[in-house]
Amino acid sequence: MNAPFYKFGLFGDQVSFIIAFVIGIGFGFFLERAGFGSARKLAAQFYLRDLSVLKVMFTAIITAMTGLYVLSRFGMVDLSLVYLVPTFLIPQIVGGLLLGIGFVIGGYCPGTSCVSAATGRIDGMVYVAGMIAGLLGFGEVYPHIVNFTHMTSMGQITLPTLFNLPYGLLVFAVVLMAIGAFAAGEWAEKKFGGKEPDAEGALIGSSRRLTPVRALALGLAVVGLFAAFGGNPYRGSHTTIDTKDLAMRVSRGVDAIQPEQLANWIIQGRNDYRLVDLRAPSDFASYHIPSAQNVPIVSLTPDFAAHNEKILLCSNDSTDAAKAWFLLEAQGFKNVYILNGGVQEWKDSVLFPKKPQGTVDMAFEKKAQVARYFGGTPMTANAGSSATIPEPLPAIAKPALPALPATSSSTARPHKKKEGC
Amino acid sequence: MNSQTHAPKPYWNSYWAGFGLGLVLLASFVIMGRGLGASGAFTTAVATAVDTVAPTHAANNAFYQEYLGDGTTNPLMDWLVFEVLGVFVGGFLSGVLANRLSLSIEKGPRIASGRRLLFAFIGGGLMGIGAKIALGCTSGQALTGGALLNVGSWAFMWCVFGGAYAVAYFFRKQWI
Repeated sequence: MNAPFYKFGLFGDQVSFIIAFVIGIGFGFFLERAGFGSARKLAAQFYLRDLSVLKVMFTAIITAMTGLYVLSRFGMVDLSLVYLVPTFLIPQIVGGLLLGIGFVIGGYCPGTSCVSAATGRIDGMVYVAGMIAGLLGFGEVYPHIVNFTHMTSMGQITLPTLFNLPYGLLVFAVVLMAIGAFAAGEWAEKKFGGKEPDAEGALIGSSRRLTPVRALALGLAVVGLFAAFGGNPYRGSHTTIDTKDLAMRVSRGVDAIQPEQLANWIIQGRNDYRLVDLRAPSDFASYHIPSAQNVPIVSLTPDFAAHNEKILLCSNDSTDAAKAWFLLEAQGFKNVYILNGGVQEWKDSVLFPKKPQGTVDMAFEKKAQVARYFGGTPMTANAGSSATIPEPLPAIAKPALPALPATSSSTARPHKKKEGC
Repeated sequence: MNSQTHAPKPYWNSYWAGFGLGLVLLASFVIMGRGLGASGAFTTAVATAVDTVAPTHAANNAFYQEYLGDGTTNPLMDWLVFEVLGVFVGGFLSGVLANRLSLSIEKGPRIASGRRLLFAFIGGGLMGIGAKIALGCTSGQALTGGALLNVGSWAFMWCVFGGAYAVAYFFRKQWI
């Protein structure tokens, strides 16, 4: 079985929309069944009277997590092709706190508000209107807070990678934690909500019978235990190549990043991408773009990076990078870009930008500021022939310089839409 | 027809509802290679609306651009948009089958309807902002990222609970 099916090209975008609709129906159905169309039931979580939110959420998490572990462990799902939202720690902490506060005030989260509105709850409809207003507000202030939203970037990273622990062990730990939380939740419901756990619906209680609910928890715990010793999930290497798609993308040049754009990324401190320098180690040693890592083309094996990691390739010009781009695309890497013009172009347009003669240009002043940031020198058009690059090249270490004004990224539109929420 | 057939049916047991939800999420991973979401669809709708009303303004804003794509496709032809349409339909179907459709306001006994609706609007607004700062909401981050052992999602999840419990006391009159 080659899964995720969509990533293996088993069907196209049109079919994926139908699947989206069906999956959404399932999502909405179970949210409503759980009682999540009711703000009172949701909010009761935060007064410890009804811990349905905790129970539903963690049961769903451990069900999907253990299921995915088993399927990927036996090679049926390529885990590296399942999209992972990149981690930006501080923004996600701040966003989480805001969501928590909004949850208590509004009574819903975005998903449950849809279900609430669909079942006629006026407060759910008003909540959706408020959310749309909030999104518009965020969009309007985004240019001013773009640096904040990109801070503390850690890339696509999982807890097993962070703690350097086996994937399956973390799966087991989360299952145990969830079951512990269920028991604590039932206890709290009894103490604060005055709810006597009913014999059929609860995990803890006087009855020793193996009720269906207890069997479910036991089943999940057994799979978790298997995961603890089961080894690592499969992150595959095989893929199918859509040659037409590749050819189209080559001809449209959509996977090229301009050096100026890379300079902006570095200045903004973004590190949700990996800059790979393909040149010979000696060239790399004499100068390289800050944050680049030297990887010879022969080392671009299927496991050199996660398959959905954003990889930016550079060589002296674009030629070797283009070869490596094709190699990586063929190996199933999903997010590969080329630095347009390579290190040569980086030097020409970022380090040593040339001022058009006799013009006073705001845009050039900004370029000059960028050049100085990277230790280069802005040049005027008559200051020597274009072929000579002043030696020595700037030191690799990044000089401390004042922050540049926020840059607009209107220079290049992403060729693919955002995949995450 | 007696009145009993019109009484709302009880909610499902949380563990079974959660199990069903987990299977839907797993199906999404296996079929699509991505998880569930909610706020992203509304963001696409907002970005499209801005693009329609003020195209130049939208073109100069990297945030809207990210949701509008490269202009070669209609931004509303988007996976999450269809998924969220499904959420409305699925919620409606479940509500119909359980006699839970009613034009009403969910609130505690100690708060007026107008005030509750104001709070719903403010809470929705905060959630909209928070979801974009965090790159996802309870669906896209906590649920999906939680199941994928995503570092940021787990930090996010604890902060949602932490933030909610920290302020719950001040809003108790709305609910209990």
